[in-house]
Amino acid sequence: MNIFRIGLLLGIRQIQRASIWTNILIVFVMALTFLNLIAVSGILVGLIVGSERALQEKSLGDIIVTTKDNETTIIDTPAFTRVLDSIPEIQDYTVRFKEGAQVEANYKTRRDLSQDKNVISGSIVGIDPIKEDAVTGLSTTVVEGEYLDTSEDGYLLLGALTLDRYTAGFADITGSLENIYPGDTVRVTIGQNTKEFFVKGIINAKAGEVSRSIYIPERELRRLGNRVTQDAEEIAIRLQANTDATMVKNALINSGLAEQAKIRTFNEALPKFLVDIKNTFNVLGTFIGSIGIIVASITIFIIIFINALARRRFIGILKGIGIDRTAIEIAYVIQAGVYALAGSLIGVVITYAILIPYFDANPINFPFSDGILVAEPIGTLVRFITLFIITLLAGYIPAWMIARGNTLNAILGRK
Amino acid sequence: MSQTSTPIITAVGITKSFGSGDLFTTILKGIDVTIMQGEFVAIMGKSGAGKSTLMYQLSVLDEPTSGTLTIAGESIERKNEQERTQFRLQTLGYVFQDYALVPDLNAEENVMIPLVMRGMNWTEAKTVAQAAIAAVGLPTKYKNLPSELSGGEQQRIAVARAVAGKPKILFADEPTANLDSFSSQQVIDLITSLNRDFGQTIVMVTHEREYALGCNRIIHMEDGLIIREEILKPM
Ligand SMILES: Nc1ncnc2c1ncn2[C@@H]1O[C@H](COP(=O)(O)OP(=O)(O)O)[C@@H](O)[C@H]1O
Ligand SMILES: [Mg+2]
Repeated sequence: MNIFRIGLLLGIRQIQRASIWTNILIVFVMALTFLNLIAVSGILVGLIVGSERALQEKSLGDIIVTTKDNETTIIDTPAFTRVLDSIPEIQDYTVRFKEGAQVEANYKTRRDLSQDKNVISGSIVGIDPIKEDAVTGLSTTVVEGEYLDTSEDGYLLLGALTLDRYTAGFADITGSLENIYPGDTVRVTIGQNTKEFFVKGIINAKAGEVSRSIYIPERELRRLGNRVTQDAEEIAIRLQANTDATMVKNALINSGLAEQAKIRTFNEALPKFLVDIKNTFNVLGTFIGSIGIIVASITIFIIIFINALARRRFIGILKGIGIDRTAIEIAYVIQAGVYALAGSLIGVVITYAILIPYFDANPINFPFSDGILVAEPIGTLVRFITLFIITLLAGYIPAWMIARGNTLNAILGRK
Repeated sequence: MSQTSTPIITAVGITKSFGSGDLFTTILKGIDVTIMQGEFVAIMGKSGAGKSTLMYQLSVLDEPTSGTLTIAGESIERKNEQERTQFRLQTLGYVFQDYALVPDLNAEENVMIPLVMRGMNWTEAKTVAQAAIAAVGLPTKYKNLPSELSGGEQQRIAVARAVAGKPKILFADEPTANLDSFSSQQVIDLITSLNRDFGQTIVMVTHEREYALGCNRIIHMEDGLIIREEILKPM
């Protein structure tokens, strides 16, 4: 206990007497190390989480209902939605009818039949524009022209990734519609039926699925697709804020709806590759951060080593007058610990008070994601503890090396 | 003084050698010395005579090559490194040649830490340290860092640190070597008064004969041997 108090006194005084710039520099290095540890994996993971969020907001909703594995539609969709209407936790839902379609553009200006048609194959989605907008805010993703109007026939929305102007070359394999603007006409073919539509608007969302699709009102899709029933392919459900999706999902399943469709929460419906990439990025970020830890621990080692070496004579004198060398080792461990603590604290404040709010408000604009910074408190704590322990070791080892030396040699400055 | 005195240091046949092969040298060539409780002994001799080397053996900072050493009734040879550190803490006090204060600690803290190490609680150690600093004549300098004290003042703090824990023996190896004559006299007066007023046992190396005049006995060394003893004041 007394050994610890002496170690504490020596450690604190060493920090106090060190030059302010030395202290600032060391704490700065520690803060950067900590940030490196948090931010690299945080941004990599945040990239994917941003993309997941986009999927949740713009496509899947909080709960996504799809067809059972060997069915083509949600069985008795009207009965299904009647149950949804009765559940108070459900804020909105949107029923989607999906078909494969061919869309042809520039057919009026095509000079002769030997010229290639400007045609693409894509997924066409029939929606109730108002309900879809309530769930996914589809109208907010309109970047040119206007959103669909429920009362109008003969208009569609084109996903930006169907247009050459937005894909700028990289979609050559799948083809794209050339030189299309709102007000132009395109021909949509589903099966045997073809209809001409005006392009009402262009939509572009960070969820690639949305930007690759073509949207028309549901009754037009049912007409073109020769559909006789009201059965749809997909229902995306938006829950009231702070509602547990798993709970609602279980309630739906318990009311027998699983017989009619596959019901999954957003998390369950996430594409597996996203989850895999997220885990990979986390490992990658931690690995990159670990290099930072090694650099920081070497920095601390050198600083403490030089410091203890410069004080070797006084360490000898302390031992000479009867101070246990453990007290001296404790002093340096405390010194290293204070640097690690101060650095991490600054790192935590920067991360949670500045970086995370900043990136939430101004996500990094990646083509497929609004990248944010993700730093789970548990992960941060684990990284902090790791950094702290390694720093303590990096302080202890040089102190131990010097304090264990011969007392008289240290006092006399002999080798 | 006629009271029966007890020996506090008994050294028999102490030798100290360094190196090996061609570099092998024997610095202490067989020292027999007994120092009594309450005695003030000065060691004198030319530079290189082996005075410091002898001091390191007697003060348990070093281990002799051969010979036996008994201090305060304890046999030193059997002690391991940790026990020797503990022994120095409990029994001995040191004043080194150049003021050996820890530069990061102020005067009071320098004096306090051996006391705390001995198990004294913080406030008590502080009180004792302040009293010791006042006793060496620097009652206003508790909070000064070593760098804010003159050489003489630092050495007086070093004396305070050495004696605050009431050691059985105080060792001082040329405590005035780096001081001007005024400060030297102050430090010598201080050390001398510790013996005169409190009966402190002291072993001190000095070059100046006048600084040894307050002693009971002067031991003269030459080439690793005691060549002569001079009794100034019989015990
Ligand atoms: N570690 C050592 N190795 C070899 N020679 C030493 C060592 N320490 C001291 N000496 C030699 O021992 C002699 C006595 O040294 P010292 O005891 O310091 O003398 P003094 O204190 O009387 O001036 C000197 O010649 C010195 O060079
Ligand atoms: Mg000497």
